[in-house]
Amino acid sequence: MKTRAWTVLLCIAVLTAGAAFAQKTLTIVRPSDPVALDPHLETTAPGSWVYTQILEPLITVNQDMEIEGRLATSWEFVDATRLRFTLRQGVTFHDGTPFNADAVKYTWDRAISSDPPGRWRSLASAVVGAEIVDEFTVDIVAAQPFGPLLLVAAMPYTAIVSPTAVEAMGSDAFTRAPVGTGPFKFVEWRANDRITLEANDDYWRGRPALDQIVFRTVPEEGARMLSLRTGEADMVLMPTPSDLPALDADPNFIVEGAPGVGIFYLAFNLARENVADVRVRQAVAHAIDRELIAEAILEGGGVLATSVIGEPVFGYKDMGLLERYPYDPERARALLVEAGYTRGSDGWMRDAAGNVLTLQALPSNGRSLKDREIAEALQEFLRQAGIAVELDIFEWATTFQLMRGATLDYDLNSFTWFTTTADADYTMYSNYVSTEVPPASWNRWRYANPQVDEWLKAARASLDPAERAELYGKVQDQLAIDLPAIPLYGSYEVAALAANVTGYVAHPIQYILDLFPVDKR
Amino acid sequence: MFAYLIRRILITIPLALGVVFVVTVSFDLIPGDPAALILGEFATPQAIAELRTSLGLDRSLPVRYVTYVADILQGDLGRSIRDRRPVTDILAETFPYTIQLALAAIVLVLGVGIPLGLLAASRPGSWVDNLIRVTSLAGLSMPVFWTGIVFMVIFSVNLRWFPVSGSGTWRHLVLPAITLALPSIAVVARMTRSTVLEVLREDFVRTARAKGVAERSVLYKHTLRNALIPVVTVLGLQLGQMLGGAVLTETVFAWPGVGRLTVFAIFNRDFVLMQGLVLILAMVYVFVNLLVDLSYGLIDPRVRYQ
Amino acid sequence: MSVAAPAAPSAASARRDVWRRFRRNHLGMVGAVIVLLLITMATFAPQLAPTDPADQNLRARRTPPNAQYLLGADEFGRDILSRIIYGTRASLTVALASVALGLTLGSFLGALAGYLGGWVDSLTMRIMDLFLAFPYLLLAIIIVSALGPGILNTIVAIAVWTIPAFARVARSAVLQLKERDFVTAAISLGAKEARIMGVHLLPNFAATLVVYASLYLAYAILMESALSFLGLGVQPPTASWAGMIASGRNYVTSAPHIATIPGIAIAIAVLGFNLLGDGLRDALDPRSAKH
Repeated sequence: MKTRAWTVLLCIAVLTAGAAFAQKTLTIVRPSDPVALDPHLETTAPGSWVYTQILEPLITVNQDMEIEGRLATSWEFVDATRLRFTLRQGVTFHDGTPFNADAVKYTWDRAISSDPPGRWRSLASAVVGAEIVDEFTVDIVAAQPFGPLLLVAAMPYTAIVSPTAVEAMGSDAFTRAPVGTGPFKFVEWRANDRITLEANDDYWRGRPALDQIVFRTVPEEGARMLSLRTGEADMVLMPTPSDLPALDADPNFIVEGAPGVGIFYLAFNLARENVADVRVRQAVAHAIDRELIAEAILEGGGVLATSVIGEPVFGYKDMGLLERYPYDPERARALLVEAGYTRGSDGWMRDAAGNVLTLQALPSNGRSLKDREIAEALQEFLRQAGIAVELDIFEWATTFQLMRGATLDYDLNSFTWFTTTADADYTMYSNYVSTEVPPASWNRWRYANPQVDEWLKAARASLDPAERAELYGKVQDQLAIDLPAIPLYGSYEVAALAANVTGYVAHPIQYILDLFPVDKR
Repeated sequence: MFAYLIRRILITIPLALGVVFVVTVSFDLIPGDPAALILGEFATPQAIAELRTSLGLDRSLPVRYVTYVADILQGDLGRSIRDRRPVTDILAETFPYTIQLALAAIVLVLGVGIPLGLLAASRPGSWVDNLIRVTSLAGLSMPVFWTGIVFMVIFSVNLRWFPVSGSGTWRHLVLPAITLALPSIAVVARMTRSTVLEVLREDFVRTARAKGVAERSVLYKHTLRNALIPVVTVLGLQLGQMLGGAVLTETVFAWPGVGRLTVFAIFNRDFVLMQGLVLILAMVYVFVNLLVDLSYGLIDPRVRYQ
Repeated sequence: MSVAAPAAPSAASARRDVWRRFRRNHLGMVGAVIVLLLITMATFAPQLAPTDPADQNLRARRTPPNAQYLLGADEFGRDILSRIIYGTRASLTVALASVALGLTLGSFLGALAGYLGGWVDSLTMRIMDLFLAFPYLLLAIIIVSALGPGILNTIVAIAVWTIPAFARVARSAVLQLKERDFVTAAISLGAKEARIMGVHLLPNFAATLVVYASLYLAYAILMESALSFLGLGVQPPTASWAGMIASGRNYVTSAPHIATIPGIAIAIAVLGFNLLGDGLRDALDPRSAKH
């Protein structure tokens, strides 16, 4: 009996001592588990949030949207198709492999020309590959002059992997246990439950303040917020917007956010009769109170969109939508009358044959913040203007399939498009060039304006930022007149944190989570 | 008896293969392409075609099905389309969580549901009886995800007795188990009550009472055995459902079990994972049915196995 | 010399007995009243509801119950009381239609299997097994994909789910009936005797069906909420209680009334159906009287 009592006391002592030397662990909750942790295979945010701690690209874009060197110390265009990087010396991968030009070439070749290529390959369609100049100098080569090249090279997808690790483990295993040069090392991945990382003592910028990071998967939004309140989680990604004002006011919590590069919009299908007339589209724009949506539905979870691309994106210009299309249901009805509809006694706008103007909508559902709620609100706004909207709400797999189809049997659809490279070309080219229609690309609205085509092609080929910005400005002005899509809100990258977590600054690009400077008091 | 067991186990095979076939066909019927979903905004037709080929999705349905069956016989359930991991690994990770949750819930159902039903049946028409009937109806009528969140708010946030979500310690199991068990407790309590009352009315019970056998003995010895058979059937059904995945409970409490996995597989059109899941679930279903049938024999030795 | 069989009860007097027994069952009457109230709400929704259930007032979102919004407002500023009243239509329609459909199809299949026996029986039962082992969510998505989103596919999806239970009940009842007939024929009683059997057995069968039906009405409402939770339920702007809970669950801490009130409505409706079902069963089968 005595021995047992002593054993118990000893255990308690050890545990208490252990608690005193407890690791500084940051617990983060977010809705879903990644598919993979290898940028070769994983192109969604849940994956990149984790692997951006483990793997680093040559250059990156910081929170102020400026390019910063990571594994490269300097860079320049040696000619129109060749971008030369000088690599940082004295860096090693977590498995001890030295970092040099071989690793860079290996990573880029793998992404561009292996079979199957990296999932993000089509993003860098102009890139041919990487060429070694010497042990610490690498060229990224394009097939033709490609303006966005610098920003493409700054994407998290281009993070450099350890060639020895990939070769030794094989791609399938590497993607479950990646090896890179980043501030944190991979420890463990319990599927659909948690991913654990630990600090890299030999990190070239110095050891991070945190000892450990745990990413936990909690699908239910309410449960995530409650975890923060009970202290089970230190940081919530994708928090409930309506909770944010209270958390911000509470001294026990911090709310950190930045306007992002995503735009959620209502898109028209110009191939459909009902919305082919620009006056109908303008009427829809007048019928929607976008400011109220931002205020009452998004509640700070998103910002009012002022263009078809986000404000932090290179090439952004304010389209002046609030001035051009203020909330005015009566103006909406007047435009519809101009377009040939008449107001019925019951309030509905009817065409010459007496049919109510009915728009078929395919909204996104559960994919973007409040997408379903916004669809319901839009339905009601348009009802007030006499337009009937029929919603077909499916789960994402079906919706996505329909949106990619060669024909789209809907007048309206909604979607968020993130300008991942923070360069306008990424969004504008695939969305608005007339030849970029589904299923090959993303011009879902079947928008065709030859002048816009010209401007976008020129902007892609030019290496002069001032020239490119001007061209994109012209495109946005034209889109404000043609209105193939109505931007509704811009993404807001926000996290809710416990007050003892310091050093976190939100990044406009949703894939990047900068945890190196974070500490926990 | 042995022959009976063998025959029951053999029936599993065509059932399992049948379900797998129906699932395979179903995925072809519904819109949605797993390769396109994986690629997301990078889903050009060329990229999709390349990915489909590398994943073996471009083969025809009969080829896929036959290859799959051949692989099963070698113990290979294929690789999940979404994350390329062997399905056997994924199932081996996930099933223990579901079994934990289901067992915990069934223990609650047995320990709370049956006694409540007996209590109600022993005092028919009394306020106890009516209270149990009405509260069990209440337990039946609240959606599981609602009760889950309410419990979370009360017990995790306000009282701090249990963690909010996730898994790891016995504390993580309590709230999900209670949430999952609540409707089943209600069903089993009601079922126990009604079957016990029915049996109490049977002639032989009246005979026992007339003979002067003590009330308690009447209730437990004579009625319980006979009343238990339909109750066991219901219990089996409940257990089968719980093992099949308590989707709503698992989602609310972030419990990494089979239910959530099923939802992922369907929403991502990961039919390889789905096939593996369905195969195992069919076998679980048959196993539970077998348990139920065997327990009939234990309860009532008169039951014979044809 | 055989003992004269008691005079067979006439159908009319049997019905009167049933009604009299039902009236005496207080809880059953409560159930009947609740169900009647629900049907009234559904039928006279436009007259009873203070506003149009689709009218949004975003600035008044999540208002707790007050003078203007008697039961409060939801996340769109819609009046919850109006949505509850109109929601009776969707929820009742889904519950009643799906159970009716399931009961009809299921009983037919089960009775057929039981009556025909042999390989038809085995095949039907194996198909039912296949069915139960098949993941329900996948089935629901197939139905939604085939029929499009909306109330019809919700009804079909839930009806399909109830079929195995009703099939089993019908089949076992028919099997019992067959057995009794067999025995009766062997002992060769008169035709009247057989009719008495029918008069007594059928009410039992009906009684079991009624009990299952009332239980499944409750399940149907819960299934609807599960489908809404997973995004496969009734489409906006149609109000349904289950949909209200599903979308209101995110506001548990900030505006609990949004999900609680429809939850209470569901509880009352389920209670009503079950009490009614219990009462009917007791009335139909005097042997099961509690007092």
